Amino acid sequence: MLLGQTIINGLMIGGVYALIAVGLTIIFGVMKIVNFAQGEFLMVGMYVTWLLYKAIGGSPYLLIPPVIVIMFIFGLLLYKIVVKPVVGKGDTAYILLTVGLSIFLQNVVQLIWGANYFSIETTIKTEAIQMGDVSIQLPRLIAFIGAIILVGGLHLFLKKTDIGKAMRATAENSQVASLLGINPSRSFAIAFAIGVVMAGMAGVLLTPMFYVYPRVGQLFGLTAFVVVVLGGLGNITGALFGGLIIGLVEAFTASYVALDLAPVGTFVVFLLVLLLKPEGIFGGGVRKT
Amino acid sequence: MKKLLSLLIVLIMLSSLFVGCGSEQTGEEAEEVTVVKIAFMNPLSGNNADAGQQDLNAAELAVKHINESGGIAALNGALIELVVTDTTSDPTQAQSVAQRVLSDEDIVGIVGTGISGLTLPILPIAEKNEVAMITNSISNDITSQGYRYVFEPVPKGNMFGETQVDFLKALNEEFNLGIKKVAIVYENSAYGVSTAEGTKARAESAGLEVVVNQSYPQGFTDASSLVTTVKQSGAQAIFPVAYTTDAKLIINTMKSMDYNPLIIGGGAGFLWPAMGEELGDNINGLLSVASWNWDSKNISSNPELAKIPEDYEAEFGEFMTEHAGPTYSFVWMFKEAIEKTGSTDSVVIRDALAEMTFENTPAALMQPGITQFGDDGWNVKTHPVMIQWQDGKPRTIYPVSDASSDIIVD
Amino acid sequence: MTDFKELIKKQKYSVFIVILFLLFPLISPSDYITHVMVLIFLFAAMATAWNVIGGYGAQVSWCHATFFAIGAYTSFLLFLRFNISPIISIFAAMIMSFILAMIVGYPSFRLRGVYFSLATIAFAEIVKTLLLYFTDFTGGANGLMLPYKGASLMSLQFKTEIPYYYISFVVLALLIFVTWKFEKSKLGYFLKAIKEDEDAAESLGIKAYKVKLTAFALSAVMISIVGPIYAFNISYIDPIGIGHLDLSIKIGTIAIIGGVATLWGPLLGAIIIIPLSEITNALLGSTRGGASTAIYGLILILVIIFKPEGLISLFDKFKGRKKDKKLKVR
Repeated sequence: MLLGQTIINGLMIGGVYALIAVGLTIIFGVMKIVNFAQGEFLMVGMYVTWLLYKAIGGSPYLLIPPVIVIMFIFGLLLYKIVVKPVVGKGDTAYILLTVGLSIFLQNVVQLIWGANYFSIETTIKTEAIQMGDVSIQLPRLIAFIGAIILVGGLHLFLKKTDIGKAMRATAENSQVASLLGINPSRSFAIAFAIGVVMAGMAGVLLTPMFYVYPRVGQLFGLTAFVVVVLGGLGNITGALFGGLIIGLVEAFTASYVALDLAPVGTFVVFLLVLLLKPEGIFGGGVRKT
Repeated sequence: MKKLLSLLIVLIMLSSLFVGCGSEQTGEEAEEVTVVKIAFMNPLSGNNADAGQQDLNAAELAVKHINESGGIAALNGALIELVVTDTTSDPTQAQSVAQRVLSDEDIVGIVGTGISGLTLPILPIAEKNEVAMITNSISNDITSQGYRYVFEPVPKGNMFGETQVDFLKALNEEFNLGIKKVAIVYENSAYGVSTAEGTKARAESAGLEVVVNQSYPQGFTDASSLVTTVKQSGAQAIFPVAYTTDAKLIINTMKSMDYNPLIIGGGAGFLWPAMGEELGDNINGLLSVASWNWDSKNISSNPELAKIPEDYEAEFGEFMTEHAGPTYSFVWMFKEAIEKTGSTDSVVIRDALAEMTFENTPAALMQPGITQFGDDGWNVKTHPVMIQWQDGKPRTIYPVSDASSDIIVD
Repeated sequence: MTDFKELIKKQKYSVFIVILFLLFPLISPSDYITHVMVLIFLFAAMATAWNVIGGYGAQVSWCHATFFAIGAYTSFLLFLRFNISPIISIFAAMIMSFILAMIVGYPSFRLRGVYFSLATIAFAEIVKTLLLYFTDFTGGANGLMLPYKGASLMSLQFKTEIPYYYISFVVLALLIFVTWKFEKSKLGYFLKAIKEDEDAAESLGIKAYKVKLTAFALSAVMISIVGPIYAFNISYIDPIGIGHLDLSIKIGTIAIIGGVATLWGPLLGAIIIIPLSEITNALLGSTRGGASTAIYGLILILVIIFKPEGLISLFDKFKGRKKDKKLKVR
């Protein structure tokens, strides 16, 4: 039972990590930004979900369409006002900008709604599917499936649509892309907004599992980086598998080594991958720059 | 370079003047005191801001109650002014905030903080400035350092575990539960560690078998592994020590894994309004230890005191929490010490606090309704209580002398 | 002739400045102001140390809080367990930091740019978790507390902030001096070449890996000197408070806001950031929680948007200096 349950535990939390990592990946892939504020975008997504839930009610999962719209606008505005002025000013500028943004968002939210913990009423949060001795928690299963759908959808979007192709071209080489008549700034804006939307969707899917509060994004920030690097920076499907692998590593360390050493397990695997295969297990990401 | 350097100097001087201007207005002692300043120090931003906000609500309510009832009689109705400061959740900043606030010599005392990791770095500052600090942090280290200016009216960390185990023993006897195997899981923090140590020692000496004794990283994202381990061990009762988010994960995961042992929470996350909101009706029946509860007998049996939690709830829309209640009484302790001495000298007030016995007043909210400090500054009279959530609120059920409700067993 | 005059003038300034700094505690209105100055010096010293690898080398490290914590823990443990004075154990702290820097740097410098930064984050997290895990040795999450045993230089404990003021001033001066020496050394020169173009530097026979590793170790050793002084000043340490990524980010932020790869940038950064967080806390801390920290974040954003090369560049106009100080991460 322990083995089976450990695998399920790992896969389910891995789905959650993948969900958060996907947004980070698309922003990095196209813009080459390491976004330290992704956790806060997730937090904003959760607040939007919670506010809409209070206003409308119903199942939180039905709130996905309005959350997408709101987060897309939020992402575009954020890009226009904050990120655009820094484009091309180097990696460190991005890092500090997003660090500043994360501090700012966290505290503005606290300023408005206080440091209290909010949650939404839904019976789904304690439901589970029993398979023999092994149980699968329903909200986690939904998040897991959500992650797969998101990754699949995003993949198709990048492969099939014109905007997606333009974004891939920008990711490949923004100078060449602009010679081909592609506006890199537009690709950046859309990539950034999509990254924010992904965080918003993750927000919807996580709200049944976690409290909504200003620091909730901090729970996932570092793990998301690990997942993204593991999958190959900029590789969307890599992020999915990266998430699952980290989930499994964490679950196995927790079950078979020591519960409070789970983060050590994660980061040791991370370092090993960085050293042995810096382009990520699934490659395809940006190689040595 | 020289221009740069001279500019630096100017900047330093300017900034120090700016910050310093608040501290230079002293020396008006001789005139009649119309305002008494009490410093409130708690985290209002960062990780622990939710606890800090509860403390702030309570302290402001206490000041309101005191001032509305005529202020401090011994000083001709002088009013209390709460100097509210945000220690943030960062120990360095907490220390410099404390230094800033205490450079105002009119401060007669400090209320706070509720977080051990922030109280510890402030202690030496309070000592140097000779201002008494009444804290609701529960770490054993606070009163063991030999500091004279700290008072800890709340129970100590290790006592929580002892109360939990004693309660389980009483349950076992009364309802014949036959619980022998217990699990202790706790967050890896000062608070978690000290509580768990107490639980483990008492459980072992009580002949219980501790089948799991496991800490987990604070703020983890998945309780599945933890719950899997505990479930596998066959524990019949679990003592979880967790703050809000972790408590939610643990409880929900246990439910979804269909694992329903007796849960005896270790305070904090199991006591806060957020937990009640989260679980809805399912919260009823949940047990936890608490350093203080709003309806312990010393409060509910005294109509005057029973009004305090009612006012709090009316004002802030949630019941008075384990953090809020003690903080409310701390402000009153200062008030009574000033009444007794008629002085606003912080040293005199410290000495008064050390000698006084608080009984049947708003300053004596801590169970059992009497507060008296030992030589180390710790309240020798107090002990934790056990609560059970009933009708969406935590109610005191144990020890019998403090209980206001009967335990409900289903 | 004019050169000579300039020199005299310059000397006058330096003497004036040093005297001002030395006399400051006497005119300081309160212990609190002195304490803020101590914090400015200590954070400036940390940012100066960070600058050696993060600025001159453009190898952005996010594990400097770890070296700082190693310094603090080493001195605390030696003092509490064996009663060894921090003045002596500071050297033990430096050695510990050096060893750890080698362990961290050896694999991490096989990576470049963002990958290096992320590796340092991973190391910092591992060390923090281990500090929490080995409770018997480190005190775990409870942290370590230093009881006040009376003023003494050997135990770095004093009744007022003034001795700390001079100690931290000396440490800062020392670290700036080391950086100045480093800037002019072969090592500093190589590092700058690597920052400009690593491959080109390699082709000129510079062993990039070795140079970066050496500079990293130097930087780590420098910051570990600050650890004990900070720890004894605050008299309480715990893994979350001093080993956290937030602190590493604060150190880097101070250097970057001031201006990386400049001698005085980190000091300027500390002079701005430390009082800023004190002032916002003093003015807004009592209002609804979050306001002061939100403003802090906002200012960070504004500086990055409008002055990404650091505020020290404001002084470049006077000197007509080339703007080659912009931090580039390759």
